[in-house]
Amino acid sequence: MEILKCSDIEKVFGKGSNQVAALNGIDLSVEKGEFVAVIGASGSGKSTLLHILGSVDKATKGKVIVDGVDIGKLNATDSAIFRRRKVGLVYQFYNLIPTLTVRKNILIPMLLDKRKPDKEYFENIIGILGIGDKLEALPHQLSGGQQQRVAIARSLIYRPALLLADEPTGNLDQKNSKEIIDLLKLSNRNLKQTILLITHDEKIALEADRIVTIEDGQIISDQKRR
Amino acid sequence: MWKDYSANYIKNNRASSVSIMVAALISTLFLSFLCSVFYNSWTYEVEQIILEEGDWQGRIMGDIGEEELDVIRNFANVEKIVANEKLSREQKIAVDVYFHDMRTIFRDMPLIVDKLGLEEDAVSYHLLLLSRYLIHDPQDKEPPLLMTFYLAVLAIVSFSLVLIIRNSFAVSMRARIHQFGIFSSIGATPKQIRTCLMQEAAVLCTVPILLGSFLGIISSAGAMWAANLIAEDVVERHEAVFQYHPLIFMITISVSVLTVLFSAWMPARKLSRLTPLEAIRGTDVLSLKRKRNPQILFRLFGMEGELAGNALKAQRKALRTASLSLTLSFLGFTMMLCFFALTDISTRHTYFEKYQDVWDEMVTIKDTKIEDFYLTEKLRELEGVQDVIVYQKAASAISVSEEWQSDELSALGGLGAVAGSFVSKSNDGPWLVKAPVVIMDDEAFKEYCEQIGIASRLDGTVILNQIWDSINSNFRYKKYIPYVKENRETIILQKTEKEQGAVEIPVFAFTRQVPVLREEYDNYTLVQFIPLSLWEKISGQVEGTETDIYVRILARDGVTLAELNELEENISQLVGETYEIESENRIQEKITNNKMINGYKLILGSFCFLLALIGIANVFSNTLGFLHQRKREFAQYMSVGLTPAGMRKMFSVEALVIAGRPLLITLPLIGAFEVFATKASHLKLMEVLPEFPVVSILSFSLVIFGFIALAYYIGGKRLLQCDLSEALQNDTMA
Repeated sequence: MEILKCSDIEKVFGKGSNQVAALNGIDLSVEKGEFVAVIGASGSGKSTLLHILGSVDKATKGKVIVDGVDIGKLNATDSAIFRRRKVGLVYQFYNLIPTLTVRKNILIPMLLDKRKPDKEYFENIIGILGIGDKLEALPHQLSGGQQQRVAIARSLIYRPALLLADEPTGNLDQKNSKEIIDLLKLSNRNLKQTILLITHDEKIALEADRIVTIEDGQIISDQKRR
Repeated sequence: MWKDYSANYIKNNRASSVSIMVAALISTLFLSFLCSVFYNSWTYEVEQIILEEGDWQGRIMGDIGEEELDVIRNFANVEKIVANEKLSREQKIAVDVYFHDMRTIFRDMPLIVDKLGLEEDAVSYHLLLLSRYLIHDPQDKEPPLLMTFYLAVLAIVSFSLVLIIRNSFAVSMRARIHQFGIFSSIGATPKQIRTCLMQEAAVLCTVPILLGSFLGIISSAGAMWAANLIAEDVVERHEAVFQYHPLIFMITISVSVLTVLFSAWMPARKLSRLTPLEAIRGTDVLSLKRKRNPQILFRLFGMEGELAGNALKAQRKALRTASLSLTLSFLGFTMMLCFFALTDISTRHTYFEKYQDVWDEMVTIKDTKIEDFYLTEKLRELEGVQDVIVYQKAASAISVSEEWQSDELSALGGLGAVAGSFVSKSNDGPWLVKAPVVIMDDEAFKEYCEQIGIASRLDGTVILNQIWDSINSNFRYKKYIPYVKENRETIILQKTEKEQGAVEIPVFAFTRQVPVLREEYDNYTLVQFIPLSLWEKISGQVEGTETDIYVRILARDGVTLAELNELEENISQLVGETYEIESENRIQEKITNNKMINGYKLILGSFCFLLALIGIANVFSNTLGFLHQRKREFAQYMSVGLTPAGMRKMFSVEALVIAGRPLLITLPLIGAFEVFATKASHLKLMEVLPEFPVVSILSFSLVIFGFIALAYYIGGKRLLQCDLSEALQNDTMA
């Protein structure tokens, strides 16, 4: 089942003579349960692609359909609700809400929807991620690795159609990086979570089922590994 | 290089620069205004004290001859001495002493009297005047601290103003820590960065500080002019003349400049404590040191409420000035209105309402005996005059035995129980009570006799036979009972101090009705109303008359101010030629009184509004910095799916909390104050509650809510309009 489909995406920054094309005709399709790595050099457009797929930014041209929703047509409110329910975003610098406890940081997408979380699923996630004893701490009281686990837990809490991770290990040491990638793999396998991982590290990309390479805003290779 | 950098930064970050400039302008304006108003109030008060009590600093009274005067004159710190002829008597000469340095007066004066060989009690000090220069008697355990209090208030308000400048710098500088981190990483020294920031601060703030100072001076001159205008009808008030001292200008400018420089220096100091990497990664994200549990906001407004509560908690330092000044202003304003409402009710009980129908014109004729006043009939003939009573008051006493006291008074335990220490008694003898005598002109006395239904005679007294039942009623809602049994045909009036000089006079009637006079009679006194004809016969035996006589005049019902003014003018012409008089008319009095109260309200209200403005300015300086300060925070909310409506809800909750907190803190305090003050003034709560100034308090609250909502609307709009997604990409966004 196709969970993501991008057709001819273009993204242009600036105006007039200062225009820069960050993405230039991206076509991408991802099946449910796939673990896809998008690699490319710095400035290749991979983060821009992730922001468009996550409905944080809009494409200048093209169509993006996530779980049957054309996200280009969503207004600001619907975009927010889409982000809340359909995608989970994991960033290099975690982007946890510093004023909320770990528990609330994880639950915030559900709390914004005034929904009660599935207790069993919540316990399952924090068990997998190993943050059960940190639930009442504030983000700044955790290590980088622990903060990233919280960010992953937050991105998974709504069982999103797509988990988008932007250099999730970029700010971590080797040991923590490996653990985070293992956790992503685990969630991909155990929870059947579709993951799109953005990285510049080829070694990390090799952990994915499929590697898409971007250069100058275009996909130059798309290899299935398994 | 730095110049180019700063110039570019100022040019490309207009909003941030403007917010600093506005903060510097507003703060300096208020600072200058407050200092100038304080200085003028102080000089005015000193002038008033000197006008009323003289400008002497110390005074020596005793047997002082030329030789002693030389001793005083030659004392090193004595500037001059002036013999006070008014206070001097034959053997006791009063000498007013002025010092070069009056701060040492409490050390020098004892030394002088010691040299003169006089007792310590020969010295007196002008404590009120000295206290205005913060000079207090070191022996005095409770010196007058009004000036210190004023200075403390001025210092607190000035400090709040200084914080506004600091906050607006802090908001802008926090956003630039990242940029300076980059400079630092490529080798810029803290000194270079500090110099750059100082230069920028100087460029941004020089003009606003100078302009603010001048505008403050102009505003304070305007305030003085307004105060004179409001109080122009106040009798015996000297006009305030605007004055300015260069020192005030120096203080205002110095405080503002130092604040600006300090505010610019702070980020440089902060930067020197961070590694370049820490600085580049930024420390601009609001965070909490400890976990908090904002259950109320979560329950009321959901997740947005909790996020707003946490954000406010994280910004509490930046919003401290706002919280404090808004709470103080609201508390001050509400308390002032409640106080004036209570005073108004109280005044109605005791003055205007009680006396509004008993007089239209009151004329005080100075240093005259009633028997020597010969214009009574002429006054009656004046056009527009309907009724005239000419009267004078005298002091006397009456013995009231236990048997003579009324049955009602005896039933309450007698005079001792009801009047306590207000009446005196020698051993087992009768009580000696005060019996004020109101001597009325014969014509008026006859009319009074008719009023109470007795035959008119001019050779006896009418006794106001009532005493306040202080056991079963309070002073506000007095209940009266008969004072004495109405079984005497004569009474003996005596001097208050000793028995000699007593005179026996006939009693016409005992009554509970008073003549129509603007008089309030002391509690527990047995008031006598007697005609002038009788007084002429007995005055030699009783004496004790006051120096002035009074003329109470009633005009027609519904008389206008113009008519009363004309009548007052005619009275002045008629009586003023022969006698020294003072006159007042009821309508003008009420207008003047209202003007004075409104003037007080205006001054106090302006002060509260000023405090509110400080708070609002602080909120504005904070919300205008949102774009720098909270971009990342809102980008994070956005990334987890907070909708624009949710963000607006967050802003609304924050604004509501900032504006509502002073209300929540103040209302219980005001409630307690209202109940306490109502009880203390013995008023009935049900009488006070309808007068509670709900509309004014509501209007003031709405103004505060409106401004804070506007501040959040502007700050929030700017934040929501910008592209938040870039803030998520890395940790270096500012």
